[in-house]
Amino acid sequence: MEGSDTYLIRPNHQFKFKPAIVKECIREIVRERLSGMRYDPEEVPELSRSLANCIKDKVKNAGSDRYKLVVQVVIGEQRGQGVKMSSRCLWDADTDNYAEDVFINDSLFCVAAVFGTYYY
Amino acid sequence: MTAMEEYNSGSESSFHSEEADGIVKECIEGVVGNDDYSQSLVNKWTAGIVERCLTQLVKQGKPYKYIVTCAVMQKTGAGLHTANSCYWDTTMDGSSTVRWENRTMYCVVSVFAVAIA
Repeated sequence: MEGSDTYLIRPNHQFKFKPAIVKECIREIVRERLSGMRYDPEEVPELSRSLANCIKDKVKNAGSDRYKLVVQVVIGEQRGQGVKMSSRCLWDADTDNYAEDVFINDSLFCVAAVFGTYYY
Repeated sequence: MTAMEEYNSGSESSFHSEEADGIVKECIEGVVGNDDYSQSLVNKWTAGIVERCLTQLVKQGKPYKYIVTCAVMQKTGAGLHTANSCYWDTTMDGSSTVRWENRTMYCVVSVFAVAIA
């Protein structure tokens, strides 16, 4: 994040965090990696870590480099239990945004959320 | 010329995750305490936890943007994993994750703090 145009306090329209595009990115990656997978307690920690890194790299390349990114991936086993996930953010609503996607198959569920905050 | 005052001197400009841990634990206990998992109340709980955490964090008055996420899951023997990957300034930004449980449910709260300039 060095030296580029530090006088910009709002991103240009084309460099804004676009939730729809990021959601597509997430969807592709998750569908490709998790379709047909079964929940396996040995593999899942590595899987969730690598999914998070993958998504972060893809979004970083697709968007502007003025955005700081936080990617959270939650994978759980499907056993008929109830789960609820929610989030609250304190940020600048003009410049910051988020995108999320949920993937469910009959042995696991996966929630991936990407939050992008602008670096002034 | 009088001396200039500097805001945000070095020791303050990093995220203190232990403080955040304490704040989050109190908030969870305040909202959920010893209640049992209930499908009808879970919406209220997650919203209450995130809102309380956010207001407490903001009261500290530090120049950060915050993202707080909370996942509440019923205990049925199923497994759950969370992973985070962040693209930010490692000297100033930070995160903290708190895992809490009671007899009938698990609660995982993550706080991400991103510095403003």
